[in-house]
Amino acid sequence: MKGLFARPAARRAGLALLILGLLAFPYAEGNDADIDSMANAACYAALALGLNIVVGFAGLLDLGYAAFFAIGAYFYGVFTAFQVMPHWSSFWQPFAMLHLVEKLNQGSGDVVHFTLSFWLALPLAALVAAGCGVLFGAPTLRLRGDYLAIVTLGFGEIVPIVARNTPSVTNGAAGLNGVQAPSLFGYNFNVQAIPYYYVGLALVALLMFVSIRLRDSRIGRAWMAIREDETAASAMGVDRTRLKLLAFAIGAAFAGASGVFYIAKLQTATPDMFGFPVSVMILVMVVLGGMGSVWGVVVGAVLLTLLQSWFLPDLTDWTHALGEQIGSQWLQQIDFARSTELIFGVLLVLMMLFRRDGLIPAARGSAALSFEQQNVAGVQRGGFASTEAAEVLGFAAPGVGNLLEVRGVTVRFGGLTALNKVDLVVPAGGVVAVIGPNGSGKSTLFNVITGLVAAESGSIRFNGAEILGLPPHTILARGLARTFQNIRLFANLPVLDNILIGQHARLRTGPIGAVLRGPGTRGEERAALLRARGIAGLFGNRLTPRLQQTVSHLSYANRRRVEIARALASRPRLLLLDEPTAGMNPAETLELAEQIRSLHKLGLTVLLIEHKLDVVTQLADTVVVLDHGDKLAEGRPDEVRRNEEVLRAYLGRAAREALDAA
Amino acid sequence: MTTADVYLQQCINGLSLGAMYALLALGFTLVYGILELINFAHFNVFMVGSFVGLGTLSLFGVVPGAASLSGFMLAAVLLGTLLVTMVTSGALGVAIERIALRPLRDVRGPAAMITTIGVSYVLFNLVLLVLGADSKNFPTPLPSVSFAIGGAVLRLREILIWAVSLVLMGLLTWFVQFTRMGRAMRATAQDPEAARMMGVEVDRVIIMAFFLGSALAGAGGLMFGLYYNFTSYIIGFTAGLRAFTAAVLGGIGNVPGAMLGGLIIGLVEAMGGQLISASWADVIIFSILVLVLVFRPSGLLGRVAPNKS
Repeated sequence: MKGLFARPAARRAGLALLILGLLAFPYAEGNDADIDSMANAACYAALALGLNIVVGFAGLLDLGYAAFFAIGAYFYGVFTAFQVMPHWSSFWQPFAMLHLVEKLNQGSGDVVHFTLSFWLALPLAALVAAGCGVLFGAPTLRLRGDYLAIVTLGFGEIVPIVARNTPSVTNGAAGLNGVQAPSLFGYNFNVQAIPYYYVGLALVALLMFVSIRLRDSRIGRAWMAIREDETAASAMGVDRTRLKLLAFAIGAAFAGASGVFYIAKLQTATPDMFGFPVSVMILVMVVLGGMGSVWGVVVGAVLLTLLQSWFLPDLTDWTHALGEQIGSQWLQQIDFARSTELIFGVLLVLMMLFRRDGLIPAARGSAALSFEQQNVAGVQRGGFASTEAAEVLGFAAPGVGNLLEVRGVTVRFGGLTALNKVDLVVPAGGVVAVIGPNGSGKSTLFNVITGLVAAESGSIRFNGAEILGLPPHTILARGLARTFQNIRLFANLPVLDNILIGQHARLRTGPIGAVLRGPGTRGEERAALLRARGIAGLFGNRLTPRLQQTVSHLSYANRRRVEIARALASRPRLLLLDEPTAGMNPAETLELAEQIRSLHKLGLTVLLIEHKLDVVTQLADTVVVLDHGDKLAEGRPDEVRRNEEVLRAYLGRAAREALDAA
Repeated sequence: MTTADVYLQQCINGLSLGAMYALLALGFTLVYGILELINFAHFNVFMVGSFVGLGTLSLFGVVPGAASLSGFMLAAVLLGTLLVTMVTSGALGVAIERIALRPLRDVRGPAAMITTIGVSYVLFNLVLLVLGADSKNFPTPLPSVSFAIGGAVLRLREILIWAVSLVLMGLLTWFVQFTRMGRAMRATAQDPEAARMMGVEVDRVIIMAFFLGSALAGAGGLMFGLYYNFTSYIIGFTAGLRAFTAAVLGGIGNVPGAMLGGLIIGLVEAMGGQLISASWADVIIFSILVLVLVFRPSGLLGRVAPNKS
């Protein structure tokens, strides 16, 4: 099966067959109730697709997703049911001409009846729900993931409560009745199953298309980066808050549109239809199908809807029949439909324990390059010293003066002073090394420069402009890229995607561009892909053959290389390397030192933390020594090597005396 | 009743609710402090606890409609029921940890939290299917003695809730502060890795956290039944969310914080119901939750949780 569908032609044929089957379904299956079940399944699939963007792509656990479903549903319901009917005045005349309202004569005078078209309501409700998503998400999405879950749970509770407690608009607990059925070209859908089935099918197809386009774009990659490692994502240029908000809003938009479809079909809406159980059901659908898997969540939604409307009632009937046969009263009283939620609970636990990726795991593959494109990339495999390397990396000329100026920066964690009024200057085109014993504040220095840690006082100027206090993604966009001491890659993504995420700040595609995928977007994607392959190619045959491999499967040294490649992809002017050769053997260390030197020659300014003193001596023009948060010494490598205090910090006084004696 | 009496009465009600929420909040805080996990199963361990209490009381012959007890009998029955309920609920919590959560301990992302939602759902629906959807009457073993404070009434059941909660919270504080296991728990909350290297058996600490938290939730469930004279499969959700809010308000992972948060949320619920409307109580409490999380995420007394960034 898997092999068969790996081939594009076979996949296209399978898809065509599936579509034909789905289109023919209502005519093969004459039973209206069954067609209606499928229409319901379509609605839940649409919801699951939306939640998948939030939970599956961006990794944000939303437990109140049904709230947006409710918002979409009530938006359409309130504007079409006979609930809110203000007095008629000339103000409404223009709306009447647009067929948005009509004049009704009620005994006491003329009133307005809203008649918002279903087709107009779909996108409008999506917008309204997205707006609510932004309003609600803006303050809360900065929270840690687990807090977000509980806050969304609260939000999911509040929305039905508000609907229940504002009867003048929503008719309270009794709910809206007489919600207008859609009509198309004068044909009223009324309560027939078939037209809703086709609308549902079209809705799911559209949302699947949008999901897939988003997933395979700059936006989707950024979401997955956030899901894998938020801190690293932001250090690589991803604006976390903005992208989380975007995921939240798009997920809400899907739910809003689904809500319109749902109550247009049902023609009634009560607050109970949108409670916590609905949020959980949709979560179960996503978990069952596979978080992040577009086809998976659709299959999960269809399976669970049919479980409720087909399998369980049938099972109940069979059990009752069996009970009659063998004369068991007990069997005849069993009603499996009541155990739906129990099954949901069991499914959640079992899936998490035994199959976390779901029935159809989200396999992430990027579009393969054509043969010609491969060849173009192949030519560039000349290593860092080649002329092509300069072209691929595209560094700007280093310029003159000081690229980075750290002045009097102090960082405290509680009572501990991690950095004490540290000054540091990195001249443009220079290589500066920071050394010092463990706990001396080296990594904190990097963290404060790249915006991951706040400073108490001081100033950090990059290229003349203050960057202290800027968020990490803005600092990366200015041209500072870094690697981490304990390697922070996006472990479940392929090598290629890791490098592509490094380019995030240099690409422009937004959500709309990603969905439409016009010539501009396609060109940008192609160039990004080529450049990512080119950068991987600089490491010779280390990374190129492994571009599609998940990072977690790589060797330690290769992971270090991917992290450097990812940083280089952001086109930095200053590269901060935190112990780049840690854990490498002498041959690998030598190779990497050589590569860093080549990068420097190509115009890159480097600031590195390193323990291996021979590497430092080989690379650095200037060495800065930190000890207990204080700058102990600064100078040329050979000067620092002889510095009394440095030796004491590193080796202790006794060692120094022993050295003197010898 | 004068207005002042009404507020005094709501204060009494609020403190009783608050004592219950505090018991429940402690379970969230203990587990979160050590695992950084929001345990949604806790909601319904509380609910199951109230049913266990109901069953135990009926084993002692205390059923709805039976005459109230007094003196030594009352104390013995209540203490026995409390013990059985707490041990059973604690065992349930340990079973949940052992079966559903331990295999996921090192899995990143929301997997463990999703599992606790699943477990919570299973408990909820099992009780619903086995015991039915109608709410069950709770017996009233307490004699209907009450004291008038001005125009307000203080009943014996309120005194009982306060006393039980105070004693249990006192015991917990003593346990966490002064026993070997308590020290291990605090060390694990600070830094699980370092604690492990210092010889703390982290597995046992986690089991202890689940046992204690669930036992307190069971006690809370029993108090709920004795206070409201009924229990039902649905009581876990609302009470659980309020108790979680209480834990966050006090500073999650912080034991005294959970107690303080519980009392505040109980008072807010009672006063909010009086001043605005009981149907908006949840909205008010969630607004508090969101405001605390946004503006003071470490809560009133400070957050204690492992540093797992």
